[in-house]
Amino acid sequence: MWRGCSLMLTGMLLALMPALARAICADDALGRELCLAGPAARIVSLSPGATELLFSAGAGSKVVGVGAWSDYPPEAEQLPRVGDSSRLDLEAIVALRPDLLVAWVDGNSRQQVERLEQLGLPAFWLAPREFEDIPRAIESLAVLAGTEQPAQAEAQAFRAGIRQLELRYQNAGPVRVFYQVWDQPLMTINRDELIGKAIELCGGINVFGHLPRLVPRISKEAVLQAAPEVIVTSGREPGDRQWLQAWQSYDSLPAVVADNLFLEPPDILARPTVRMLDGVTHLCQTLETARARL
Amino acid sequence: MSCLKARELVVDIPGRASGAPLGFSVKPGQVWGVLGPNGAGKTTLLHTLAGLRPPRGGQVQLDGRTLAVQWRKQVSRRIGLVFQDRQDGFPATVLETALIGRHPWLSAWQMESSDDIALAEQALQALDVGHLRDRLVSTLSGGERQRVAIATLMTQNPDIWLLDEPTNHLDLHHQVAVMNLLTTRAGSGKAVFMCLHDLNLAARWCNHLLLLYPNGEACWGPAETMLVPSSLEQLYNQKLETVELDGAPFFVPARG
Amino acid sequence: MPGSSIVRPLAGLVLLSILVMMFAVTVGSAQSGMFKVLWVFSGGGTGLERTLILDLRLPRVLSAFAVGGLLSVAGALMQVLLRNPLADPYVLGLSGGAAVGALLAMLAGMGGFVVSGSAFAGALLATLLVFGLAHGSGSWTPSRLLLTGVVVAAGWGALITLILAMTPAARLPGMLYWLMGDLSHSGQPWPGLLVLLLACLLVLPLGRSLNVLARGSLQAAALGVAVRPLEWLVYLLASLLTATAVTMAGAVGFVGLVVPHMLRLVLGNDQRLILPACALAGGILLVLADTLGRTVIAPEQLPVGVITALLGVPTFLYLLYRSR
Repeated sequence: MWRGCSLMLTGMLLALMPALARAICADDALGRELCLAGPAARIVSLSPGATELLFSAGAGSKVVGVGAWSDYPPEAEQLPRVGDSSRLDLEAIVALRPDLLVAWVDGNSRQQVERLEQLGLPAFWLAPREFEDIPRAIESLAVLAGTEQPAQAEAQAFRAGIRQLELRYQNAGPVRVFYQVWDQPLMTINRDELIGKAIELCGGINVFGHLPRLVPRISKEAVLQAAPEVIVTSGREPGDRQWLQAWQSYDSLPAVVADNLFLEPPDILARPTVRMLDGVTHLCQTLETARARL
Repeated sequence: MSCLKARELVVDIPGRASGAPLGFSVKPGQVWGVLGPNGAGKTTLLHTLAGLRPPRGGQVQLDGRTLAVQWRKQVSRRIGLVFQDRQDGFPATVLETALIGRHPWLSAWQMESSDDIALAEQALQALDVGHLRDRLVSTLSGGERQRVAIATLMTQNPDIWLLDEPTNHLDLHHQVAVMNLLTTRAGSGKAVFMCLHDLNLAARWCNHLLLLYPNGEACWGPAETMLVPSSLEQLYNQKLETVELDGAPFFVPARG
Repeated sequence: MPGSSIVRPLAGLVLLSILVMMFAVTVGSAQSGMFKVLWVFSGGGTGLERTLILDLRLPRVLSAFAVGGLLSVAGALMQVLLRNPLADPYVLGLSGGAAVGALLAMLAGMGGFVVSGSAFAGALLATLLVFGLAHGSGSWTPSRLLLTGVVVAAGWGALITLILAMTPAARLPGMLYWLMGDLSHSGQPWPGLLVLLLACLLVLPLGRSLNVLARGSLQAAALGVAVRPLEWLVYLLASLLTATAVTMAGAVGFVGLVVPHMLRLVLGNDQRLILPACALAGGILLVLADTLGRTVIAPEQLPVGVITALLGVPTFLYLLYRSR
């Protein structure tokens, strides 16, 4: 009797072993492979973009703390704050006893996150640079959180949406676009930036796409020289058209002549998350309108 | 020719009880020496007479009018002061420093004329620093700087010359030269009033003396009446031996 | 100093100023050439060229000249006031106050005009604060003024650090650019030029009194200078000049320290020559620095404060070495 039971138990264990031995792994944006023993149950997001992606991956219920300015989705507003970008509250993070940290390459300080890693908290870095990086990030986070099912649908929907936009606008007539990030100093983006890629997807030509820096600081003269046909910005606040009005006085600009000065809603275009799809859709419609006015 | 008068003057030395009121006149042709130990208030008295400090009591009168109510510019045409401590201000050449003596004589819009420059150069020559005219004052020795300061006063050419220990830092030759210069000026109508720490210089060159005692007492008058050994000993709290030299008394600290 | 030795260097500097400004107007993201510039001035040129030259470059070059002149004269005045050749316009905390004003406005999400107004108000507040504190009991001596100013400047510095720490990351580039000194958002140059001109005119009759004051305040009093009123006037004038400059272009460093010093090494110590020369030489220097900042990595821009620091320090060291 005993021998039979023990044989059966051993057999069951042997059958289960492969499953137990298969740890959960995903590659992060720094090229490291992060492996967890089991799906993460307490996740702290260190930036608003990471928060949105975690919720898109279906792991929202597992998030126990978020970085400042995490305002989407609305549920995230109720979660405890752990500090802002490079000024994280290390104590608050440790006190939440997380088993996974999700960090943003351009937002969080490497040193601070490494400090947390030294304390035994695994960190997963995100840095979406292409549209494909967004669904891939969702899928990686889903693997780490054990929520592959709901995530798949989100990721696929995003891919399909982008593909649709690409098809729709692949033959659109090119328009010269200037995207204004800030007014003092005057900043724009180059073609490696995600917004720059959105402009190209919609059939626009980013007049400063060729510059080496991701967010170059340029002069008004350079903008006049480039003679854009459309000027797009998200302004300082939603609904603030001050920067666009400042361009009105330069009536040699084709954009001013055609009245192609547009304010884009910032939230959906500025963050590389699922909402980017809405943002790109909106931008493409804006450029369509602009094309008609030229 | 101006006359400076102290009337019931009580000098304001912060933290010190008022001394005896002073009442003397500094007239053209007079060479006054102010004697007293360190801390007796000689410098403060000089600054008060120049109008740089308000007195605690009494008044200073210039040509019959109180100093305090007169325009500073007018006053500085008639009273000049050489300070004891050199305030090291901004860098400047020797000639530039002497030239500022002409400031009271020029209006705001006037530039210094060649006459002004000539006056300054003459003054520098008289003080034997003419050859240093383009040197920066900060590069000079203490004695040279002292002579530049006196040259500045000479360039200013006021009627009343106030000097605070003008022979400090000077070697023997220049001490005599300066005292000679001051006496000559007094002879041609200036009034000289100076603080001296060297009793014998005062005895030799001054025709009037003011003695400031450490306890606040003071006495003044023609030199012959002031050069009484007992009062000098009381002044310096030091026994003195007197010697006759060229008909003038010479005082040496006694031994023991 | 005879009049001719003042007129000649000044005339030379005026000529140089005009040449440098003309040069600067021809240079930019788009090269324009002297003939095109002259043609635009005489009424010709395409819309784009006219906009570039008359609406963008000319005001900017004039603003650069004004700011450079204002800071240099303010620096020279501060050096006389404090009897210290190492003083600069910001040593009494004026730029700190302006910075706090500007940064608070930026933190509140305000733009252009409000930021400039706040900067000016902050500068005036800093001026009055140091004036009032130094006034206290006892004499208004240079060392007391300097100590008060240094402490107040440190206080402003702490506030600036606090504001920077609390700002959301997106607003930081704008603040940092302002703190470095940046001419790209300078508006009309005419108020600045007017203040500069008035200051120079005011300072000419005071020049010799300043020479005397520079030798020491007691000495000056003995020579008939009204020391206290003159010092107040110099202080307020220097503050007004600095406040105007900082409002136009943020805290541009080194110009106020290096230019008066350089000129004194070359031209001597007569304030009647130095002060107007500072106005011209400072203007020339800043126009050149700004032109460099506009073009060296075009179309990207470097803030002019970076250029003045990089140019100013080695120039100064070289001149000090030469003068030994």
